[in-house]
Amino acid sequence: MSIDNWQEQLRRGSLDLAILLTASAGPRYGLAIIQHLEAFTDLVVTEGTIYPILGRMTREGLLEAQWIENEAPHPRKYYRLTPRGARRLREMTIEWKALAAKIDRLMAAAEEGTR
Amino acid sequence: MNLSETGQSRVNGYLFVLERSLKTFLPADIVHDAVREIESHLRDRVMTTEAVPNEREALERVLSELGPPLRVAQAYSAERVIDEAVTTGRLLPIGRAIWHVATTTLVGSLVGTALFTGYVAGFAFLAVAALKPIFPNNVGLIVVDGIPRVFGAQFPAPPGGVVYGGYWIIPISIACGIAVLTVMHRATRRFLTRWRERRKLRSALEAPFTT
Repeated sequence: MSIDNWQEQLRRGSLDLAILLTASAGPRYGLAIIQHLEAFTDLVVTEGTIYPILGRMTREGLLEAQWIENEAPHPRKYYRLTPRGARRLREMTIEWKALAAKIDRLMAAAEEGTR
Repeated sequence: MNLSETGQSRVNGYLFVLERSLKTFLPADIVHDAVREIESHLRDRVMTTEAVPNEREALERVLSELGPPLRVAQAYSAERVIDEAVTTGRLLPIGRAIWHVATTTLVGSLVGTALFTGYVAGFAFLAVAALKPIFPNNVGLIVVDGIPRVFGAQFPAPPGGVVYGGYWIIPISIACGIAVLTVMHRATRRFLTRWRERRKLRSALEAPFTT
C-alpha cells in the first residue's frame, strides 16, 4: 500500500467528525465552518465539496439547517448540531480517542523495542 | 471587495453552469437551495476579500478554491442521488442512481449495465407470467425441431415450433421474476452503499488537507 492509499484510509470519515466538532460549538454557516477548520486545525477543505457533505449530514439528521435572512447583506444557511448529531459526535470522539491511544501505546512499545 | 459588473457576470456564469449541471440529477427545490447556498458562499468570500487592483485574478482564486462547477455539481449529485436510493430503496431513485453511476465512470458503466440487465431479466419473467393467459400459443418454452429456442414470448410463433409449458409456468415465472428482482435489488443497494462510502472517501480526499 502506498503512502497515498494509507492516507486515504486514515482520512476516511475524519471530515464528518471534524464537521460535527465544528458545529458543536454553535450554529455556523458553510464558510464559517471552513474557516473554523482552518483556524483550529490545519485542514483546509476545498469549499465546493463541503456543501454536499453538509447536505448529507443534514439528511441523516446529524445537523439541522436553517436559512437566516437578515444577519448579513445576503442570506446564509446555518447548520446546528441535532441531538442525534451530538450522540454521533460522542460516539465518534470515543472511538477516535481509543484508536489514537492504542496506536500511541503501540508506537511507544516499538520505540522501547528499538532501544 | 465589491464586484464590478464583469465580476458579477462571472459569478452568475458560474452559478448558471452549476444550476444546469445540478438539474440533470436533482429535483428543482434541491437545486434552488444548493445554488442559493453556493451563491451565499461566494458573496461571503467576496465580501471578506480585500479590494485588490486585479479583481479578475482575485475572483478566479475564489472560484478555484470553490472548485469547478461541474465537479461541485457531481459531488452534490453523488451525495444526494445515491443517498436517496440507498435510504429509500425505491425504484425511481435506484434507477437515477444507477444512471448516475453508469455515466460517471467506466466501472460504474459496467456494473450499471449488469444491474440493468438483471432488472430486465426479472421483469421479463413477470412479463411471461402476464402474457401467458393472453397468448397461450406464443408464450412458454418454444422448441423448434427438438431444439429449445426461446423461453418467453415470440410473435408470430416460429414455423414448426412447439410451445411447451402450460399455465403452470405462470406461478413459476412469477416466482423466478420476484426472486431475480429481489436479488438484483439487494445487489444494487449493496453496490450503491459501497459506492457511497467510496464517494465519501473521495470527497474527503478531494478536499485537500494541506499543512
